[in-house]
Amino acid sequence: MNLIREIWQSIVRRDPLSTDKGKSELVFLNVWLHIHPAKVKKENMKFRHTFYLGFITFFLFLILLTTGIALMCYYRPYPPQAYQDMKDLQFVVFMGPFLRNMHRWAAHGMVICVFLHMCRVFYTGSYKKPRQFNWVIGVLLLLVTLSLSFTGYLLPWDQLAYWAITVGTNIGSYAPLIGGQVRELLLGGHSVGEGALIRFYVLHVAVLPSIIILLTIVHFWRVRKDGGLSRPVWKLEPEKTEPLVTIGAPAVTAPLKTVAASKEKTYGLMEVVTGKPIFETITPEEEEDTVFSYPYAFVREAVVLMATVTTIMTMSLFLNAPLEELANPAKTPNPAKAPWYFLGLQELVSHSALLGGVVAPALMVLALLAIPYLDRNPSRRLADRKLILWLFTIFVVANLVLIVVGTFFRGPGWALVPPWVHVVGGTE
Amino acid sequence: MERRLQITFFALSLLALALILAAGYQANTPSWKTYQRSFLQLEAQGEPNAVAKAAVLASPPEIHQVLLPGLQRVDRCTTCHLGVEDPTMKNAPEPFRYHAGLGPHIPSKFGCTICHGGQGLATDKEGAHGSVAFWPNPLLNKDYIRASCGRCHKEGDVPGVPELTEGRRLFETQGCRGCHKLNGVGGSIGPDLTGEGANRRSPDWLERHFLAPNAVSTGSAMPNFHFTKEQARDLTYYMLSLTNEEMGSYFSSVRLIPSPEYGQQLFVEKNCLACHAVGGAGAKTAPDLLGVTKRHSIEWLDEQLVNPELVYPGSSMPEYDLEVNARKALVAFMATATAEDVQLILSKKTRAMTPEDVAIEAGKQNFSRFGCVGCHGTELQGGVANPNAQGGEVPSLLHVSDDYTKDEVIAIIRNGRVPPIDKASGPTPPLYMPSWKNVLSDEDIHRIADYLWSKQEKKKDAW
Repeated sequence: MNLIREIWQSIVRRDPLSTDKGKSELVFLNVWLHIHPAKVKKENMKFRHTFYLGFITFFLFLILLTTGIALMCYYRPYPPQAYQDMKDLQFVVFMGPFLRNMHRWAAHGMVICVFLHMCRVFYTGSYKKPRQFNWVIGVLLLLVTLSLSFTGYLLPWDQLAYWAITVGTNIGSYAPLIGGQVRELLLGGHSVGEGALIRFYVLHVAVLPSIIILLTIVHFWRVRKDGGLSRPVWKLEPEKTEPLVTIGAPAVTAPLKTVAASKEKTYGLMEVVTGKPIFETITPEEEEDTVFSYPYAFVREAVVLMATVTTIMTMSLFLNAPLEELANPAKTPNPAKAPWYFLGLQELVSHSALLGGVVAPALMVLALLAIPYLDRNPSRRLADRKLILWLFTIFVVANLVLIVVGTFFRGPGWALVPPWVHVVGGTE
Repeated sequence: MERRLQITFFALSLLALALILAAGYQANTPSWKTYQRSFLQLEAQGEPNAVAKAAVLASPPEIHQVLLPGLQRVDRCTTCHLGVEDPTMKNAPEPFRYHAGLGPHIPSKFGCTICHGGQGLATDKEGAHGSVAFWPNPLLNKDYIRASCGRCHKEGDVPGVPELTEGRRLFETQGCRGCHKLNGVGGSIGPDLTGEGANRRSPDWLERHFLAPNAVSTGSAMPNFHFTKEQARDLTYYMLSLTNEEMGSYFSSVRLIPSPEYGQQLFVEKNCLACHAVGGAGAKTAPDLLGVTKRHSIEWLDEQLVNPELVYPGSSMPEYDLEVNARKALVAFMATATAEDVQLILSKKTRAMTPEDVAIEAGKQNFSRFGCVGCHGTELQGGVANPNAQGGEVPSLLHVSDDYTKDEVIAIIRNGRVPPIDKASGPTPPLYMPSWKNVLSDEDIHRIADYLWSKQEKKKDAW
């Protein structure tokens, strides 16, 4: 018995969870949990504040990571075997269709949730000082997510994949000067072929996942270092009469006191790094509003995790990921469409290649990256931010409208065809 | 609230478990397992005692597949069609029935889809039979299944399939190549037909198309050749047999077929002509091989190839270490080899003729082979309808020397020509003379002109 206790204690060093100390230690003595604060504000756990979109995105990524590694065991990244492997997954691999469906639906879900998460952060004004840089990281994560989805789109090597990537990379080639070269570098040739498949595979399973993991680490780290989750908008004080006070910190006006170091004492780094915290802090009376992360935050996260997993599983059980005919460079579908999240772009390109394919997306990305630095309004309250809220809403709606038009309202020759009109013989 | 959340968490976890189990159940109960169980029961009926019956019934379910790596095919049909090679299943119900009359084409070596079409990779009935979205090759209708023979047997008569021979003949003589490319040779007015069989248009569509092109393909420039029903069927057979896949050479390369072509290849490779001759052509050191298959039995020849010393003591013929199908192929070649074949091998040149004859004959061949006859007629008479062109039809070429010099004609062949329009307001005539300079060499074009002029002179004499 003693041995068992010794082994247990060598693994778990915290006090029992019935004590407050134990609850705190569970968080900060554990490498996986210590990204959480030991205590959280009750209001920050409210569903209607964050909709847990960041968590959902992260959990979808975990699903993608596990199913993706399993799929790698069954996949050869060269044509036409790649397509045959898709068929094998469909017909002979045990639970193969389920595996591929989960990967597919989680991938689409992640693109959607990253975007929704960005909208949430925008509408709550959470990108404002001191969180400007984390917003930039977030925009980069959106771009990497799109790239991951785009590179994965080619791997089944069917007609859908082949022509979506052909159209998608053509859009990229409209960039002046470097567009053509970038496309060639990406495809390993002038058109989508063997070279493109292996490059997209390497990007999809090695390069981009590494980048997204690294950026995610920075993203999470900065959430904590920037002061944790932003406070819900409805909790913001209407008018700040007094500046917030940091417990134990000198007043804003008071000069920083320098105290001579004592010779009797060894100083921890925390004591050397002095100065005022830059983030929103808790007033003494608000201390009452916090609870321990265990179990309050964790149980909520666990529920969101299981809700995400079961949603994807249910979809995967009943909805099959599409697989069209073997890629055929000689047979162009009409219209050939990019992946759905790029159809807004394709729609723009159909009006002007340079403006729609290069200038507009470049400006969009730059504007997104620059938002926290251009928006000088310190207030996070909706009433104070009418102009920028309108601008952002127009941006979101315009994107959605373009995607919907590109997806459902474009027929052969990119002509305007409503989805309820059936077009005969589009492929030849 | 906290209590409710915990309950929700456990409920969702149970749901996740249930979903995994459901997915596992779904994956573990494919329809092919049901078929295999029925088949085992059928097999067990034939067993004499209970022990043997139980042993049969206890066989684990497994996917059966035929791999044809050179053709990028994997045929899993025999996962359900379990009795195709078992003659005792002659009267069994489908899908277990024995496939009679296959000759050497054993399914376990040749697969199924090369003849039948369908989706070999699939393991469920709808998917495998291929009438599903995004699979271009559904099962070929029974009435046309013999057309598939032509996918390997590309030349000569195919026993039991006269339609193919006739279809091929019609294709080459009616000038189809004038508009259609086949294996890189032909015009570009109509679609390339090289892989037409793989497109798997319905045979019915093809047949109606041959009877009246415009009826099924509105606005088609293809003239109505007024084929009979039989001819339309023959051509349909031929179309269904056309494929890009090198099936014949694949099966030869894996040495499943001891074809004479394979034999000839070996004959050249092993340099048999270093010692032997055929009909006097070749070296004289060793016996002449003309008619050797009549002088000796197949077994004798086979043994001679394995172990020359044993059959012919003192023979200086080396042992070539050929495997059985290679020996069969060599014997098959020797049975058909003539002195001319060997001359051809030795010289790699065509047979000699007078230079003038050669030019005219080559021109005539080109005129037919590249499909000029499709519009201009086998006797240069023209007459194929071409609405709204002057005269309303493709002109005859019998008087071409009255209007043009030879050089002008050569230029027309080289660059093509759009026929003069009858009524400016009318539609563009569907047929036009394509440009041939990228298809034909200058020499080919000159020969065609030579051929045309050879015909003109005869006409002038008649005047």
